[in-house]
Amino acid sequence: MGSTNPENDISEFLKSDVNKGFRIIVERYSSKLYWHIRRLVILHEDANDALQNTFLNAWRNIGDFRNESSVYTWLYAIATNEALALINKRTRNTALSLDDLGSYFVDSHEGSTWFDGDEAQKKLQNAILKLPEKQRIVFNLKYFDDMPYEQMSRVLNTSAGALKASYHHAVKKIEDYLQNG
Amino acid sequence: MKELKEISKQNPFKVPENYFEEVNRKILSETAGIYPGRIRKSIIIRLRPYLAIAAAAAILIVLSYTAVRIFVPDKFKPGVPVITVSEFSNNYLNEIDILTLEQNAESASLPNVASGYTSNDIIDYLVFENIDIYDIYKYL
Repeated sequence: MGSTNPENDISEFLKSDVNKGFRIIVERYSSKLYWHIRRLVILHEDANDALQNTFLNAWRNIGDFRNESSVYTWLYAIATNEALALINKRTRNTALSLDDLGSYFVDSHEGSTWFDGDEAQKKLQNAILKLPEKQRIVFNLKYFDDMPYEQMSRVLNTSAGALKASYHHAVKKIEDYLQNG
Repeated sequence: MKELKEISKQNPFKVPENYFEEVNRKILSETAGIYPGRIRKSIIIRLRPYLAIAAAAAILIVLSYTAVRIFVPDKFKPGVPVITVSEFSNNYLNEIDILTLEQNAESASLPNVASGYTSNDIIDYLVFENIDIYDIYKYL
């Protein structure tokens, strides 16, 4: 059952021993998924909820995983949707925009407990929060996770060309904000 | 202000100590009580046993047909006997042939035949319509 591609191992485990396969998935990907979600939702408690929902969702729908994309891509798609659902819910309940929340978080004392970056990183986070939602996701996936566009297109169900354009626009806006904002 | 490429990509957010060990444990314990979605195998894998049976049956049929063709002598094979054109003309046409037909046609009374048709016209018609020579012979 061994192979050089760890993704193949997971797929094989999911078919032969789903519990073992799922445990490997959680241990291997929880950290990556958490940070992806956290960069979108900012607050740790929200990221924690979305992460657990992501894996719960994955477990319930593990039968739908057809090996057409990698486990990694599949999980990222679920995690992105969970983060967006949480953001939308928060927006409806609090009427607080994400960049208001982000600014508060990075600048306040409470926020400083969970934010450990320097001034430049604070400004970068603020700049990212000002991007439109989808563009923010694209920027985070490319800039922080270095995800290839082809893989990103499967996560976000958008063409690689559109994602490239989106990323370049995002970089331009962020650079303008860093210089002039 | 620094440019984007100069800013550290290091994660500026913090998490509680041992967070990932605890959340992993919590996720696994929560999902332990839930029946997972059934793993669906690809359609090829699900059809594999049936494809194997179909392939085996096809091979058996081909082998049987080949064996019959090789080992069963022609004389035992049922069906219409095949004769060559030379056999036909030597054995059958000698008994009754087109010329004989033509002679008989000339002397026969052919009711309801429109005038103006020659014997050759009639014979040409019979040949064109692929009338069986045995049928013609029967009526003479």
